[in-house]
Amino acid sequence: MACAAKRLLVRSAIPWGCAIAALWATPASAADFFSADTLEVSGDLRLVAVDGPESWVDGGFGKLRSGSNGDLRVTPQLGNASIVWKPEFTWSLGATIVGSLQGGERTEAGLSQAYLTFKPMRGTKIAASGRLGLMWPPVSLEHEGADWHVRDSITPSAINSWIGEEVRPVAAEATLAATLGAHQLRATAAVMAANDTAATLLTFRGWALHDRTTLAFHRQPLPPLGEFTGVQAPYTHPLIDLHEGFAHRPGYYAKLVWQPPVPVRFELFHYDNRANPEDVTLDMEWGWHTRFDNAGLVAQLGGGTELRAQALSGRTHMGFVEEGRRWIDNRFRSAFVLISRPFGPYGLAVRAEAFGTHNRGGWWTDEYDERGWSAMIAGKRDFGHFTGLVELLHVSSRNGSLEEQGLAPRQRQTQGQAELRMRW
Amino acid sequence: MVRGLVSFAAGLALAAPLAAAPLSVRVVDAAGHPVRDAVVTLYPAGNAARAPRPGGRYVVSQKNIQFHPFLSIVPVGADVSFPNLDPTKHHVYSFSPAKRFELKLFAKDQSRTVHFDKAGVVALGCNIHDQMSAFIVVTDSVWTARTNAQGMATFGDAPNAPARLTAWHPYLRAPAGIVQQNVGAGQRSASFSVRLRPPPAPMSMDY
Repeated sequence: MACAAKRLLVRSAIPWGCAIAALWATPASAADFFSADTLEVSGDLRLVAVDGPESWVDGGFGKLRSGSNGDLRVTPQLGNASIVWKPEFTWSLGATIVGSLQGGERTEAGLSQAYLTFKPMRGTKIAASGRLGLMWPPVSLEHEGADWHVRDSITPSAINSWIGEEVRPVAAEATLAATLGAHQLRATAAVMAANDTAATLLTFRGWALHDRTTLAFHRQPLPPLGEFTGVQAPYTHPLIDLHEGFAHRPGYYAKLVWQPPVPVRFELFHYDNRANPEDVTLDMEWGWHTRFDNAGLVAQLGGGTELRAQALSGRTHMGFVEEGRRWIDNRFRSAFVLISRPFGPYGLAVRAEAFGTHNRGGWWTDEYDERGWSAMIAGKRDFGHFTGLVELLHVSSRNGSLEEQGLAPRQRQTQGQAELRMRW
Repeated sequence: MVRGLVSFAAGLALAAPLAAAPLSVRVVDAAGHPVRDAVVTLYPAGNAARAPRPGGRYVVSQKNIQFHPFLSIVPVGADVSFPNLDPTKHHVYSFSPAKRFELKLFAKDQSRTVHFDKAGVVALGCNIHDQMSAFIVVTDSVWTARTNAQGMATFGDAPNAPARLTAWHPYLRAPAGIVQQNVGAGQRSASFSVRLRPPPAPMSMDY
């Protein structure tokens, strides 16, 4: 890991150096480094009541950010706190740097995102823009802002929880947006690196629902690994480049967005980290060749009611091929529908989702398959710089392999949260 | 802005022909509901045509990451100022054939002025904030008005002459967003039935 991090830092220094050098050619009047416009601070305090199993954050199989030992447990928590710095070097060149603190169980702080933004003045009806650095790919329909907070609830869907914890590469991304008559189109393409372990957590733990995101160079705990103990490290670094030489085996992602002349938007996203599933570090972190497709839909239903939906389907491979099967061959999928509606200063959101995994590997077979669903209802009210939220979430899943850990295959968990969110 | 409107109105009054009578125009959508903020323009044939008095000063401000007003009607030759009332930068632009320009507005209360010397519709945007959108209709006819909440626009001094009547709306389903019809001499009312598309929802750039 140390070597990988060093390679990442050294190689990443090149584009950052170019950007800093560009500052010297900038008219002083266009630059804005430390004005109030460039800084944002946000955070939240929450009261969490939860039952069910021990949280995955503590090394358990629980699917939520907090867990219990089966009884109802009520705890006040510091949720997330972020400081966002968005310096502007020129009219078209800027940066976004986000430092975050993740509270609750296993509190830690670190770098969340750090990327350059380039958005030149459009010369035609086509607008071009780009990003370069450590960033989340444009998948989530639930998150917004540089601090990547969840807009209408406290807990995001299983899909976007996974994006937040395991899919955040170092990428060079370009976007073209055009208006053709009454149709709006946008195409994004990126090459990326340092996301070679994506889907480790998803495979060993299964899907989860939480707003705890991965910090750069930090690791996520894995639950008990069974027969993989000693073969796979008991943790995963989502930001890591395993192949020899940084970005010598780059991955890519691409996205298409179409908004016809009706209040509906369609999105298609494809990701492939192109990791070598036979690459392994001395710490026993493996390459996971992970690819997935995500379809998104946003529809304005009138009266401020908005429907958002995502469906994600993917597959990951890890380890060597034995008797025609790779150690792990995990197909995963999930989908949700979220409906939100404002009522004056209040907002209401409901979400239903289903998720599952399908294992056909040499070591992990269908006994490790997972099936589950969740339902969520959330309300919020804005008070200037403050937002109050309440949320009730239930998740139910079944995984036959949990019996090996002395747990019931069917896990149910209900969580109620009240949160005060602050933003300056 | 008020001074500009008064000046524009005075220009309209001075340019009114002697043989004039009211002309009422109603714009409705396919369901018969009134369409507000459609811009209706009367182009009388021959010598009855009148251009508005050039000049005047108009304002399109930026506040709360929006343009205000969303729709402006100005005469050819008008100067429009673009004050930035937001505590953040704006990069105002237009690629419309009637006027291409870009303004880099650095900070609150800073302003730039643009001279509009050609008739047509000018669509405004901000290169920093994609959700910002507004329109300026630069007109070369004194008989130009926007419809009210009842979908009505009235010219109290329309010439008693054959004319071409146009209606434009930013979301009108028609080439260039314009529909037109001919009106006869002495005609005192006209109506348009138009099809509108929903206002485009701003597309997030995800960052």
